[in-house]
Amino acid sequence: MEPILITGTGVVSAIGLNKAETLEALLSGKSGVGQLRYLKTEHKEFPVGEVKLTDAEMRERLGIPQDAVTTRTALMGMLALGEALEEAQLTKDMLSKVGFISGTTVGGMDMSEQFYLDYIHNEAHKEYIKVHDCGSCSEMTANHFGKFAFTTTLSTACSSAANAIILGANMIRCGEADIVVVGGSECITKFHLNGFNSLMILDTEPCRPFDATRHGLNLGEGAAYIVLESAESAKRRGVTAQALLSGYGNACDAFHQTASSPDGEGAYRAMSEALQLAGLQPSDIDYINAHGTGTPNNDASESQAMIRLFGENVPPVSSTKPFTGHTTSASGSIEAVFCILALQNGFLPVNLNWSQAMEDGILPVSQPTKKELKHVLCNAFGFGGNDSSLLISKVPELVEGPTKNDGASTGSATCYILSAKQISLQQPLTEAWMQEPIEYDVPFTRSIDPSFKEYVSPIEARRMGKILKRALATSKEALKEAGLDTVDAIITGTGYGCIENTEFFLDALSNDGEQMLKPTYFMQSTHNTISSLVAIQTKNHGYNVTYAHKSISFDSALQDAWWQFKLGKINTALVGGHDEMTETFYHILKKGGVMGHDDEMCGESAVSIVISHKPLHQVVEPVETPLQNESALRQAHGPQILCKLTGFQMLHQPTTDTMQDSLARMLQNAGKSLADVDYILTGISGDHGNDEAYLKETKLLFGGKPLLKYKHLFGESFTSSGIGLYVAAQCLKAGRVPAALFVDPKEVNDKQPKCILLYNRTDGKNVSLTLLEA
Amino acid sequence: MDELIYTLKQQIIEALNLEDMTPEDIDENASLFGEGLGLDSIDALELIVLMEKNYGIKLKDPSQGKEIFKSVAVMADYIQKNRTK
Repeated sequence: MEPILITGTGVVSAIGLNKAETLEALLSGKSGVGQLRYLKTEHKEFPVGEVKLTDAEMRERLGIPQDAVTTRTALMGMLALGEALEEAQLTKDMLSKVGFISGTTVGGMDMSEQFYLDYIHNEAHKEYIKVHDCGSCSEMTANHFGKFAFTTTLSTACSSAANAIILGANMIRCGEADIVVVGGSECITKFHLNGFNSLMILDTEPCRPFDATRHGLNLGEGAAYIVLESAESAKRRGVTAQALLSGYGNACDAFHQTASSPDGEGAYRAMSEALQLAGLQPSDIDYINAHGTGTPNNDASESQAMIRLFGENVPPVSSTKPFTGHTTSASGSIEAVFCILALQNGFLPVNLNWSQAMEDGILPVSQPTKKELKHVLCNAFGFGGNDSSLLISKVPELVEGPTKNDGASTGSATCYILSAKQISLQQPLTEAWMQEPIEYDVPFTRSIDPSFKEYVSPIEARRMGKILKRALATSKEALKEAGLDTVDAIITGTGYGCIENTEFFLDALSNDGEQMLKPTYFMQSTHNTISSLVAIQTKNHGYNVTYAHKSISFDSALQDAWWQFKLGKINTALVGGHDEMTETFYHILKKGGVMGHDDEMCGESAVSIVISHKPLHQVVEPVETPLQNESALRQAHGPQILCKLTGFQMLHQPTTDTMQDSLARMLQNAGKSLADVDYILTGISGDHGNDEAYLKETKLLFGGKPLLKYKHLFGESFTSSGIGLYVAAQCLKAGRVPAALFVDPKEVNDKQPKCILLYNRTDGKNVSLTLLEA
Repeated sequence: MDELIYTLKQQIIEALNLEDMTPEDIDENASLFGEGLGLDSIDALELIVLMEKNYGIKLKDPSQGKEIFKSVAVMADYIQKNRTK
């Protein structure tokens, strides 16, 4: 790939509130890990790497009123983002063309864990309910600086920020943006401090990665953002690069929910892929910033992966976690900034606290060392084996800079939906359903579940929440129907993730205190449990990520696949949208104004779709017309194909003008005009205030097109846009639209649909357009 | 001892959510991990919580579990010798 420029960076962690402080600490070997001071917890025995500011002090620095609703994750994010934007000389008025992609898992849990009992029992602090989720934290961070063109959230546990960087790079490479700000933020919470404690992987001493006596990790917190920019844009703006992103890899270890495989398969694949993409050899790597958490398991597994890849010539390695603690979701971008500082200043960050070689392990950098560096790898691994590696390079001297186009952006992303399976309030769309769908009128209804025994053995199922069983069942069914054993990528969206187990853990934490908590609840509470479980169960080592960004979580997952099709990086993808609900959380979210408005029927949904870009038996060829593509694919899959996906676009807070432009461009790219579109499938949900504006906007954009709806039957969930896609695909396949789907009964007709446009719009803030053709 | 073994089996079924099992289904001499019940590292952590909650036994290191959780009988024996409640 052509390297992408890094034109700005900002970082906040236990060793500094900005880059200058961070560099000084890294050079002088000064750790920020110490006795717990800011978090209110009874676990004072664990050293932590806290950011040395209270929330109030952060608000003051940022000029935010003290009574404003904020979360610590968002506040730290703002501190780091401010520095990155300033360095890249990005001002408020320029943000409308800039993307923002953030990684977090904790989101607003710092507030939810304090006010959980209030949320349930009274009205106090209910204004914090709407900032519980990951997506809200990202939007809060972004909105402090202005209006970004696009925003989404990756949640792959401790590799979240690294995967945000990877998505940003894909976005630039396929020509979707010139500038994307990427990274992550995560504060320490009682929730995950106790969670890691229940897994018995916290050390009561300062952590010692790669040491024979290592005994676990120290938690840390912080945020870092990186401005990725195309060479053309940087040249145009007259900004210089600090470093280059020259490669990256994402792979799934597909081994265990909380442990890494003995041979480090996922880590090995992620690092290999990064090298391959950069066109470099292992011998070109001058330094590796290891994930190196200090747990016996991680360091043994990561050592094996490095030894497998580099043989006897493992480059200098260090873990910087003894400086900062494990900053979990933010670690990928925080440590990427450390790598950039090392490249710019020519030094190897020291692996503090190391003294004794571990068996079969690597020997880390034990002394501060000056060294000119050209290429470095930065690893970030997450629970479930979501392993990522970034390859960052020094800006070459006397080179005019890479300006030629990647060539990757020219591909078409048009792809084929091979299968789609769902679990929701409705039974699968059979012929009978098409005539008479099941009607519900209760405000909160649970999904109709199949017997899961067919898909999961009882010994495996006993630890799975319903969201996991549904994800697994729909994924396995969809793969089976598509006739595939495996796919190149498993991409999942979930607005609120594993609510059931989050609730169990919060209940125990709030009612029984911080002792003897069940590890099962914690390991099942992270969003990426869903995607990684599907990978473990289908033994899939391919690309694997999870999005958690409100009602556009599924759309974000689809967009990721769409961009990778465009880049030719993948050929097949399993894209899922999964959300569950509990009685307690439903009442909390209703109280917080998040869902359950007016006649809105809230349900749950699980949808898995298998998409193929090119015919499976055909080798990817450089020149190929869509028509040949399609006929070959139809030949290979015969009647299986549900429909074609020929256009996809996501927007954040668009004006009517931007919407119209995007729509026109999307239709043009698909070789269509608005006249070819038969129906508009809307996501109106029974929330009157929103529906009214939604329908008005829809009519303005699409004139007199017949409008369809589906949430009155399937219910509203954070990922119900995936159900929308399922419904439209089934209609195109069946060649008719059930009468129950028409917004206006007067418009019911028998016309065979050839082209349906899905228009999702959440509170006017996030919009997605999906074009499907028969 | 038999009573403790029976109670322990009930507690294991509950803690590990072994939905379809009864105490009679568990052979107290069979291995809990690997071949026997097929439990894994997370189950070991759950058993550590179980011992602390019900018997006041606190393990500092999960690796200690390897010996203690060999079978229900071995576990019961360890509990009888070390229980504080």
